[in-house]
Amino acid sequence: MRALDLKLLRDLWRMRGQAFAIAVVIGAAMATFVMAMGVHHSLTQTRDAYYDRNQFADIFVSLSRAPRSIVDRVAALDGVAAAEGRIEQFATLELPGRIEPARAIINSVRDGGVSKLNRLVLLRGRGPFSDKAGEVVIDKAFAEANGFDIGSHLDAVIYGRRSKLEVVGIGLAPDYIWSIAPGELVPDASRFGIFWMGEKALQGISGRTGAINALSLKMERGASEHEIIRRLDAVVAPYGGTGAVGRKDQLSNAFLTSELDQLEAMTKVIPPIFLLVSTFLVYVVLGRMIRTEREEIGLLKAFGYSSAAVGGHYLKFAFAIALMGIVLGSSVGWWMGRSMTGQYAEYYRFPFLYYQVSASVFSSGAALAIGSAAIGALGGVRTAIALAPAVAMAPPPPPIYHAGPVERLGEKAGLSAVGNMIVRHIARWPGRSAVTVSGVALSLGLLFAVLQFIDGSRAMLDNYFFRAQRQDITVSFIEPRNEKILTELASMPGVIRVEPSRAVPAILRHGQRSERVAIESADRDNRLTARVDANGFEVPLPTAGLMLSLPLAKQLDLSPGDRVEVRLLGGRQTDMTMTVASTIDELIGTRAYARSDTLFRLTRDAAPVGSAQLLIDPAYRNEIITDLANMPEVLGVTERDTAMALFQQIIDENIMSMMGFYISFASAIAVGVVYNSARILFSERAHELATLRVLGYFRSEVGIVLLGEVALLVVLAVPVGCLTGYWLAQLMVSMFSSDLFRLPFAPERSSYGIAIVVILLAAAATALIVARRVARLDMVRVLKARD
Amino acid sequence: MPALTANKPPESRAAAFTGHALRKTYITGETEVHALRGVDLEIHAGEVLVLLGPSGSGKSTLLNIIGGLDRPTAGQLWYQDTELTALDDPDLTRFRRANIGFIFQFYNLIPSLTAEENVRLVTDISDDPMPPAEALELVGLSQRRQHFPAQLSGGEQQRVAVARAIAKRPGVLLCDEPTGALDSVTGVKVLETLANANSELGTTLILITHNAGIAAMSDRVFNFLDGQIASIEVNPHRVPASGLVW
Repeated sequence: MRALDLKLLRDLWRMRGQAFAIAVVIGAAMATFVMAMGVHHSLTQTRDAYYDRNQFADIFVSLSRAPRSIVDRVAALDGVAAAEGRIEQFATLELPGRIEPARAIINSVRDGGVSKLNRLVLLRGRGPFSDKAGEVVIDKAFAEANGFDIGSHLDAVIYGRRSKLEVVGIGLAPDYIWSIAPGELVPDASRFGIFWMGEKALQGISGRTGAINALSLKMERGASEHEIIRRLDAVVAPYGGTGAVGRKDQLSNAFLTSELDQLEAMTKVIPPIFLLVSTFLVYVVLGRMIRTEREEIGLLKAFGYSSAAVGGHYLKFAFAIALMGIVLGSSVGWWMGRSMTGQYAEYYRFPFLYYQVSASVFSSGAALAIGSAAIGALGGVRTAIALAPAVAMAPPPPPIYHAGPVERLGEKAGLSAVGNMIVRHIARWPGRSAVTVSGVALSLGLLFAVLQFIDGSRAMLDNYFFRAQRQDITVSFIEPRNEKILTELASMPGVIRVEPSRAVPAILRHGQRSERVAIESADRDNRLTARVDANGFEVPLPTAGLMLSLPLAKQLDLSPGDRVEVRLLGGRQTDMTMTVASTIDELIGTRAYARSDTLFRLTRDAAPVGSAQLLIDPAYRNEIITDLANMPEVLGVTERDTAMALFQQIIDENIMSMMGFYISFASAIAVGVVYNSARILFSERAHELATLRVLGYFRSEVGIVLLGEVALLVVLAVPVGCLTGYWLAQLMVSMFSSDLFRLPFAPERSSYGIAIVVILLAAAATALIVARRVARLDMVRVLKARD
Repeated sequence: MPALTANKPPESRAAAFTGHALRKTYITGETEVHALRGVDLEIHAGEVLVLLGPSGSGKSTLLNIIGGLDRPTAGQLWYQDTELTALDDPDLTRFRRANIGFIFQFYNLIPSLTAEENVRLVTDISDDPMPPAEALELVGLSQRRQHFPAQLSGGEQQRVAVARAIAKRPGVLLCDEPTGALDSVTGVKVLETLANANSELGTTLILITHNAGIAAMSDRVFNFLDGQIASIEVNPHRVPASGLVW
């Protein structure tokens, strides 16, 4: 081994603490990068393979009822490669030992579970025979959540008719990777199942012989989705088509895409923070190293080593640290990604889940890590290259202090001599002090921004469940009902108040832009549900015209006062122009609202009640739920408290488990920064600290000189960190927002507190480790050695 | 008051330090270095003592042990009635704080503090210090109080170090090559201030030097060789520092 490389190894060993602290920060960058990119790639590849193998459709449309022959007409449209029609039928399930009704959506399949598109994957058992009434394949998550297996029987009410179902297979399909019961906010596999039943059997039960109510199709390569949707809508319009959507708006795919987008956003925000800090640290540590090794550099050059060789030596030092971080971060990131992928498998149902981190993820992460180490090393390496041998071999000039503003300030403030030592040293090395402050501030900011995610989720929970929803139970109906149903519900014992609501599918068009939405309505004297904006304020429905959620208004480029073309879908298709009366800054979805009298003037139908909100006496809860479940017209019964608990559970499980990672990573930054700045400080001031000991200062008093400076910088970092966190949290909130929902920026004060305490503790513990060196300070040796 | 004792013969004064069989062994790597090999000594209060000898003869080790910076491997050492060899680290620190003023060859000033603040570093923690300005006046640096070490010459820096050492009115001044880095004119000025402290404050002055000429200002000289005091010379006719030449 060459002597210079041997020196490199020994330097690394000698400075192992500092090198390791930097490597940990680089490792955190690498780990978050590998994790997020790895999971992103794995999920994308799994999804693509799944979609491809199982012929996931490109365009989807629901209808009221159409003859099966419509499938051939659609298949014949220009640009359509294949089309498939099926029946989708909701069913209410009676699960033993359970009062709350569960629901399932039953999809028709041909004999043996075959279909052209959105093909069923049978994990176990067999597909249902087409004409065998009651044979179903059920989805894996529902089966597991309820303990069903092949051969299990369950009772269902389908289209008002009680049927006995037999489970013949357990399966999955690409159009239900993610699923949620209509009207629910949170997926619940135990209460919502995806079933597949033979076509003839389902036609028989649902009274749709020879008919279908859902269509999907695959496009030819290069065909225009927009154009096909336009033609498809025209074909299905007479059959109550509710507006075709592409994959982008297909529920399951939309959620999965939003998740993938969030992962991608994460790689853009979090690893760069770690990389930035590691660049700072390399800059500071290598800079200090080169200053202390001036004489060695001079000697090497005097012996004939070229400047490039000397510069390369220090660059290698930085790369060696980066390499440590890369190895560390890659393995941690790989492992974290695997556990995160496992978590995804609970919410996203894939028949297989590849967890594979491609070499390109590792290599691009490594390139970023090496790049940031190189940038950090640049300043120091340039100094090493520029040092002339003769200059380098003379000791460096002592730090020069002048009576500057800081000195005068210290005098005015009546600082003690030790106080002045601390303050002036900070001012003497502003760059390094700034690195310490900004590093600690970034770690605090990162931690706060992550904590804010929990606050945001809680705020959303509060906003949605406590402010917007005041009902105990939401009842949805298989088909819209007339107002008689309200009287019927109100007469049930224990029901205190009943309010109707409705959602009518529509396409809103403004210029070239169009969006498919559901216009939701409520009565004027409605009290159980409210439209609540991101700040928690209730926004009233306009007396006339539409109220649009802000994201929808933006997508359509609409402001209050503008006119928008509205096409009501399903049943009679009515076109009209309406005024946008107001907008609402909402957190969930892209929605449109109107008062029920406004909507009624448009629909003019006899059945304006799509669902009902109930306020009940809790004492009667079980009876009411049982009665509702037995009403043939009832499709679903949602209890607000159950949904809220589920939502809370998801926050707790997912976010909390990620919190562990982020608390440790954010602390890693603080530890890395504080450790390095304290070590540098100690080596720079060892001579002064020993002098103080000689003069009669106790160890604790000398420790104050060391810790005081670190403490002061960390304290300075706190407000900077809070500001950084405030800004970072907003950036993350905006990057993580999707069409589906948006986390509010609603930090709790305690989150600032928690972030501050965690970072202060990490910093204090680290500084104390270095301060132990004060106790071991050998006064005699330090004073003998000239600095 | 202290001036009264200055003219008495050294033997008649009370002992400041008494040492018995002091040994110091350093282990560096696999070799043992015997820095002190059984030193007995008595240092008198208020005397000027010069430690002479070649490098590695043990004089710095002894000075460090006397000053409470280091401990002997074996043997006992008293300062007046206190057994220094029995003190723990905090008590040794207290001892230094109360009694010892150090002056080093390379000044060891804190570069971020002005001359006056360097002195304050000591007066901040002393019981009955003189005002820093007064200490600086004693070394003739009143005009340079607000200067930082980098703005002072070597001799001025060493005089700040002297002011810092005498400001707490220590019982003992320990000087390790105080003039080693200075030219002779500056060196003499520094020695004058040290001699003044000895005569005006009654401070015991112990000086390490390679410079035999400085011995002329002392009451006694300990000649070191191989970790032992080879001989002790008593100087009945002290030359004032201003009269030294080398």
